[in-house]
Amino acid sequence: MGPIKSDMDSESVFSGNLSFFGLGDLIQLIGSLGSTGVLKISSEYAADPGTIYFIKGNPINATASSKTGLDALYSLFGWTQGTFEFWLENVQAEIKIHESRMQLILSGLKMLDDHEIDKLGPITIEEASEDSMVMGVSQPTVKGPLVDYIYVLDEEEFQAGDDIVLEGRHGTWLWVVLEGTIQIVKETPQGRVNIVRIGNGSFVGSIGSFLLGDYVRSASVVAVDKVLLGVLDSHRLSTEFGSLSPELKGILISLDNRLKQATDRAIDYYLNKDPLTKLNQKKLYIGPGDTKEKVVTIKQGRAYVIRRTKEDDVLLANLYQEDFIGPIPFIAMGHEPFSASVYGTKNLMLEEVDMSRIREEYNKLSSTLKNLIENRAACISATSLMVCEFYKRHAMK
Amino acid sequence: MPVLNLKKREIECKVVYYGPGRCGKTTNLEYTFKTFKKQIAGDMVSINTEGDRTLFFDFLPMELGKIKGCDIRVQLYTVPGQVKYSSTRKLVLKGVDGVVFVADSLKVRREKNMLSLKDLQMNLKEYGMSVFKIPLVLQYNKRDLADEGLPIMSIEQMERDLNRQLKAPSFPCSAVTGEGVGKTLTECLKLTLISLQRQFKWVQ
Repeated sequence: MGPIKSDMDSESVFSGNLSFFGLGDLIQLIGSLGSTGVLKISSEYAADPGTIYFIKGNPINATASSKTGLDALYSLFGWTQGTFEFWLENVQAEIKIHESRMQLILSGLKMLDDHEIDKLGPITIEEASEDSMVMGVSQPTVKGPLVDYIYVLDEEEFQAGDDIVLEGRHGTWLWVVLEGTIQIVKETPQGRVNIVRIGNGSFVGSIGSFLLGDYVRSASVVAVDKVLLGVLDSHRLSTEFGSLSPELKGILISLDNRLKQATDRAIDYYLNKDPLTKLNQKKLYIGPGDTKEKVVTIKQGRAYVIRRTKEDDVLLANLYQEDFIGPIPFIAMGHEPFSASVYGTKNLMLEEVDMSRIREEYNKLSSTLKNLIENRAACISATSLMVCEFYKRHAMK
Repeated sequence: MPVLNLKKREIECKVVYYGPGRCGKTTNLEYTFKTFKKQIAGDMVSINTEGDRTLFFDFLPMELGKIKGCDIRVQLYTVPGQVKYSSTRKLVLKGVDGVVFVADSLKVRREKNMLSLKDLQMNLKEYGMSVFKIPLVLQYNKRDLADEGLPIMSIEQMERDLNRQLKAPSFPCSAVTGEGVGKTLTECLKLTLISLQRQFKWVQ
């Protein structure tokens, strides 16, 4: 069954991906066709789709989350990832928008660039509230895509302040956050250090659990407010993981390592240890903005993921044998090549990965595993922000 | 990329005014909007962007007539100069058919002009276009400031600085008084339409 439409005349005539055809282009196109109907915009980060109503090519009303009218339309410019669908139908919505199309488009894009519109996506850095600050730095919160409930076996509730997981203990559970916010914490000789917060749709636990079943928790997890966690079907996920090619498995394990590495580097800088030895003894493999599209794995030697900041070079992660280097299209972790460089030791030996095969395999993964991968990458990106913030504090001392 | 709208029997194309901040892009468009009122469809959209305003309106160049029975509608835009306005710039420059590069004649703006032209080249390249191939007209604006005793560059110097390789048609202009504004636009539209006819392979 398709969506139930009250209007028998309605018909989906045009659909696609917003990353290819953006909202500005869409409004122009529908405008120049002079069409009457409803544009639906769906994002993984919004519970309900947004809608824009058009009469003879002109937007007359919109809805997005709880907003309507102009506010809703502008907020939809922040939905830069997702899909759209245009339905030809009679529109009965109240006329709430009177601005011309180009006025709407140019204003919307300007507000987006001026950060007046929230960009819907995995990482948000909220206005610093006291409890989310670490050493005067506001922590990013990582959210995940909408949860696929088929994989949720059970629910568990925690109250604010509860320890959900303790670093160093053994555990097997893999959870997904259904409601609330939790804090990822590292235990250090100087007490607990907050790293990042994770919210709805984010995962708690490690990809490593698919390999070992039982493993040692690498960080503590504390409930910030009332938290509802979904216990994931780890048997089902392990089975799926087990069926993957060794190459994709390797990439996912390496992704987990990179998150651990970034977290450890944050702690190093927090504790005023500088983990980076001189760069001049290393050779550059991928420079900033390098368009090398090859993905490789390390066969020998070591590599270093380094972000150049205003202050200095900051080490985000050490990479070892079997770790991957390079831009993987479905892993947006904010590292090489755009936001970090990779240096290698002199004896670095690499082997190219066949990405077309990996991509094909990735496309066939279950939505939960895809979500887990996407969320891991977003966590790496958010944790890397904290590494740089801690570095700044460290450098100032 | 010109759009052929079969429903309206209209060919829609896009001409963009590019140049360093405060060089007079918006003054050019405001003058055009005021002076050619009859050839304007709809209102002028004006967005306050940092450093410069971003303007847009539809222009119907009557004197160019019809092509294959289709009317021509030209979207005229200015581009916000600030780096951060990448979403706007992307929308404006995507599929641009013709460019007017407005240079500031003031001596102190010499470097700004050259940087902006370089920037135009990079931006076009990002969308798979070449500054050497796109219909392009240069305009040396603010010639009137010489009368006020302000130091301005000679046309020869500006040609050397900006047009040595491009060899694009260029016009001295004073957007405040309107002198040269119409000529610049007409030349750019002419070049745009010739290239458009080539794209549609209506002339070989």
